[in-house]
Amino acid sequence: MKLQGKTLDKSIVLCRACDLAVSKRALPSGVRALCPRCHTALYDTPYCSINGMLALCLAAVFLYFPANLLPVLEIHFLGNIRNTTVIQGAIAVIDQGYWVVGIAVLLAAVVAPGLLLLSVLFQILIIKFGRRSVFLKTSLKQLLKRQNLVTQFTMLEIYMLGFLVSAFNLSDFSDIYFSVGSFCFTMLFVVTLFLQREYNLEHMWSFVDD
Amino acid sequence: MTKRNRNTGMTLGLCLCTRCRKMNSKSQSHCLRCDSPLHTRDDTSLQKSWALLITAAILLVPANIYPISMITNQGKVTYDTIFSGIAHLVHTDMIPIAIILFVASILVPVMKIVGLTIYLIAISFELPISKKYLMAGFHIIEWIGRWSMLDLFVISITVALVNMGQLLDVKPAPAATAFALVILLTQMAAHVLDTRLLWDRLEVKNDGN
Repeated sequence: MKLQGKTLDKSIVLCRACDLAVSKRALPSGVRALCPRCHTALYDTPYCSINGMLALCLAAVFLYFPANLLPVLEIHFLGNIRNTTVIQGAIAVIDQGYWVVGIAVLLAAVVAPGLLLLSVLFQILIIKFGRRSVFLKTSLKQLLKRQNLVTQFTMLEIYMLGFLVSAFNLSDFSDIYFSVGSFCFTMLFVVTLFLQREYNLEHMWSFVDD
Repeated sequence: MTKRNRNTGMTLGLCLCTRCRKMNSKSQSHCLRCDSPLHTRDDTSLQKSWALLITAAILLVPANIYPISMITNQGKVTYDTIFSGIAHLVHTDMIPIAIILFVASILVPVMKIVGLTIYLIAISFELPISKKYLMAGFHIIEWIGRWSMLDLFVISITVALVNMGQLLDVKPAPAATAFALVILLTQMAAHVLDTRLLWDRLEVKNDGN
């Protein structure tokens, strides 16, 4: 067991959950290797086309603004008409003095998805055009280090279920209409989902190595 | 149970970077790739996790007994706790929505706290519980925990949408903050824990996978 550097990296992988050393094998595409001891996902085949991700990322950035700035839901109640955007929802809660809740909502539904898209966009652009520059390479490193955190805070899918649940909730005593924003938000979720499926952190790190 | 294929990073003199998952030699103090500090095992993570978990468990009480929203309907003010809101949904025959909200705001936080407590007790007191089930439970907790945010999203949308003064008005109430903190703290407790500790400590006595 005296292998050095690169060869070792390619032949053995350590499980992050139980530290078991597992010898690496080539996988068919779409298959994930699980740790034989604790069943944590170890690695999968890099399925990560830079150009495909760039396209998805740009689409998501274009959808991001209408999704957050256009009204999501509209309520008609005894002649009163109100609508709300995602950001207004968070601000309304902060205005009532519940800033912990408001910031949590803002972070999970607006800030984190935005950071995620920006970060992935910059990573792709650096990999495509700026791999010579030392400064850009260190910034790529910094972005990749924070990738997991940003992904954890991104909760688009939960927010989507959130406005569906509130629509059903309120339809009990008023008329509820979905506005353009909810369509954009759903599309943003779908595009981001595909982007995250395409994205492979391990593969992105390999660009830093060489 | 062959001992041959039970090599861990520890015995091979290797250490995985928890940040970028690169393998480093145990002699390194910082990861070669991302410069994060390396620890073969993070023993303090157990204490941190306990502290966060206990705080979350304490906060779960106000989150459930205090009202989470205040509804003014034609001058009449009613307060809803998490549970009474769900009970109200059951009465108005919206069972599917009631089930979704029940799972997201009551079942998941409680299961998460109970599950993590069992997990941490198993590490701290070396209980002979099947490690495989513990780990499966841990993965479920990690994945499903974030769905508790659903209730907060629903409140935020409803508060912004329903503001018609005395006619119809919804405002958040104190339990919302406690509930948000419960989610944050339990997620942190699961995130901070070094799960490799479980496999080390129980390895000696019980290898019952």
